[in-house]
Amino acid sequence: MRLVIARCTVDYDGRLTAHLPEAVRLLMVKADGCVAIHADGGAYKPLNWMNAPNTLTEADDDGVHTWRVSNPKGETLTITLHEVLSDTAHEMGVDPGLQKDGVEAHLQELLAGDPSFLGEGLSLVRREYPTEIGPVDLLCRDADGHTVAIEIKRRGEIDGVEQLTRYLDFLNRDELLAPVRGLFVAQEIRPQAKVLADDRDIGCVEVDYDELRGIESTTPRLF
Amino acid sequence: MKFRCERDVLDRALSVASRAAATRGALLQVLGGIHLQLEGDCLLVTGSDRNLTVRVTCQVGGQEDGEAVLPAKLAADIAHALDSGQVEVTVGDNEASLSSGRSNFSLRTLVPDEFPRFELPAGDEVTLSASGVAAALDQVVGAASGDDSRPILTGVLLAAEEDGLRFVATDSYRLAMRDLPGTSILSRDQTVLVPSRALEVVGRLLGDVDELTICLGEREAVFTVGDVQIVTSLIVGEYPNYRGLIPDDHPNSLIVERDDMLDALRRVRLLATDNTPVRLEMSSDGLQLKAITQDIGQASETVDANYDGEDLTVAFNPTYLIAGLEVCPDEELRLETCDALKPAVIRGVEDSDFLYLLMPVRVS
Repeated sequence: MRLVIARCTVDYDGRLTAHLPEAVRLLMVKADGCVAIHADGGAYKPLNWMNAPNTLTEADDDGVHTWRVSNPKGETLTITLHEVLSDTAHEMGVDPGLQKDGVEAHLQELLAGDPSFLGEGLSLVRREYPTEIGPVDLLCRDADGHTVAIEIKRRGEIDGVEQLTRYLDFLNRDELLAPVRGLFVAQEIRPQAKVLADDRDIGCVEVDYDELRGIESTTPRLF
Repeated sequence: MKFRCERDVLDRALSVASRAAATRGALLQVLGGIHLQLEGDCLLVTGSDRNLTVRVTCQVGGQEDGEAVLPAKLAADIAHALDSGQVEVTVGDNEASLSSGRSNFSLRTLVPDEFPRFELPAGDEVTLSASGVAAALDQVVGAASGDDSRPILTGVLLAAEEDGLRFVATDSYRLAMRDLPGTSILSRDQTVLVPSRALEVVGRLLGDVDELTICLGEREAVFTVGDVQIVTSLIVGEYPNYRGLIPDDHPNSLIVERDDMLDALRRVRLLATDNTPVRLEMSSDGLQLKAITQDIGQASETVDANYDGEDLTVAFNPTYLIAGLEVCPDEELRLETCDALKPAVIRGVEDSDFLYLLMPVRVS
C-alpha cells in the first residue's frame, strides 16, 4: 500500500468528466492497482477512485509531477501533484477477510455443540468443513447417515441461500459425501429466502438465540 | 404516458398503493417503486413487494397510454405536497415529470419490465359488510406480532366457526379474538392465515365503503375495497392451539367502566417506565392501580369497580392492557382472573363476540 499526501488537482475523464481543484489529499495506491483519492473527512468513500486493473504511469513535465491512471475501458484519472508532503509504502500482506459477528459465531458454536436443536438425530462431522470455495459452517450426519450441510446466519437472506447452494454443488461432487442436503439456519429467515430455499430443496430452521443459550425470557408468554 | 387528474386523486392513489411498496433493503430496486399503467382514462396504480400488492384504479384525463415505475415514497410525497388542483404527469424514456400550478418535479423512473405482474388468484368471491369486518380488524390486528422471526404470529387467523367467522391474532404475550356471527367465507373447519400487514391496509380503507369482497385462493387472498384491490400471500404453517389457552372458568371477576379504567391506567402508567408493569389490586373495595419504578417514584389510583372473588394483585404490561381495553366494544368490561400468573380474560359485559387474553407479569 502506497500512501501519498500531496497538494494536488485531479481530473477524471471517462463516462463523464470530473475535476477536483487543488487541495491537500491522501492518495492510496493499493497492491492490486486500485487508486483512491481521499479528503480529510468522511468514512464512506473516496472523492474519486479507479478500480483495478489499472496502469499507473508517472511523469515529470516542466517540473510538474503527474500520475496518469488508465484502465482498459479507456477511463483516465490524471493527478497533478503540486507538492508532495509524504510518500510512504507498506507491505500489508494478505487480508484475513471480515470476521463473523459475535452472535453468528456463537450460534455456530452452540449448534455445533448440540446439532439436535436443528433436527432429531443430527450429529456433527466437522465445523467449518472446507470446500474449494470456502468452508461450510457445519457438516453433519442425520439419523439415516446422510450428509447435511448447514449454513448459519444471524439474518437469513437470499444471499445465504445462494451461498449454501454453491457449497452443496461442490459437496455433492464428493462421492464419499453425496447426496448432501442443505439446511439454512438463522434467527430470522426472510420470506423470499424461504421461497428460494424451498425451491432448491433446502430446509430452513429458525432458532432462538436466547433459548440456545439457556436464557429464559423474563416476560411470561401465553405459549 | 401522459395524463391529467386532480391532485387529490393522485395523492390518494399513490399513498394507498405505496403501502405495499418495499422499503429499504428490497431484493429488487423496482419493488421500491409504484407502477403506473394508463389505458384511455383508466389509470392503474400498483405497489408491490411480491408478498403484498395494492392496486388502485382511478379515472384520469388520459392523453397518451403507457406505463412507468416511479420511486414510491418520493412520488407519494410530491403528490401530497402539491397544491390542490390539476396535476399533469408526463413520462418519457427515463424520466417522469409532475407539474401543478407553478410546481414542476422530474423524477428518474425505474424499469417497468422488472415490476411484478399483477395476477388475481382464482377462487370464489364473498361480499361482506364493511362495518363488521372493520370493527373486527380494529380489535384484532394490533395483537399480531411484528417479529418476522416467528412468521406464523405475524398473521391473523380467519377460522370458520359454527355460527360465523372468527378472527384471532396473538404475539404470544396477548391474544385478541373476535367472532362475526352469521358471516361465512370459509368452508367448514377451514382456516387461513392472512398477514396482519395486509389486513392493516384493508382496515384503513373500510371506513369509506359499505362492503368489501374477499376471494381466497390456495396461496393468496384478494380483498377488494371500492377501487382498491389488495392481494396478499397467505402464511403457511400451523397456528398455535389458541383454544387451549382460554381458561374455561375464572373464580375472580371484576366489572368496571372501560373509560374510567383507561383514564386511570394512562395516568398511572406515567410511573411505569423501563418495562415496569402496572399492578391491579382487586378486592371487595374495588380496584386500585399502582405503578412503582425504583429510583423514580410511584403512582396509584382507585377506580370504582365490582369485584367478585379473592383479594388478588395481578400485574400487566400497561401497553398491552391499554391496547386490550381500547378495543373492548362495551362501555362496561369484565376482567376475569384465576391467579396472579395465569392468563386473564377481558371482554365486554354485553358483547360476547370479543375476547382479549393477556398474560400477567411476575412481580415480587
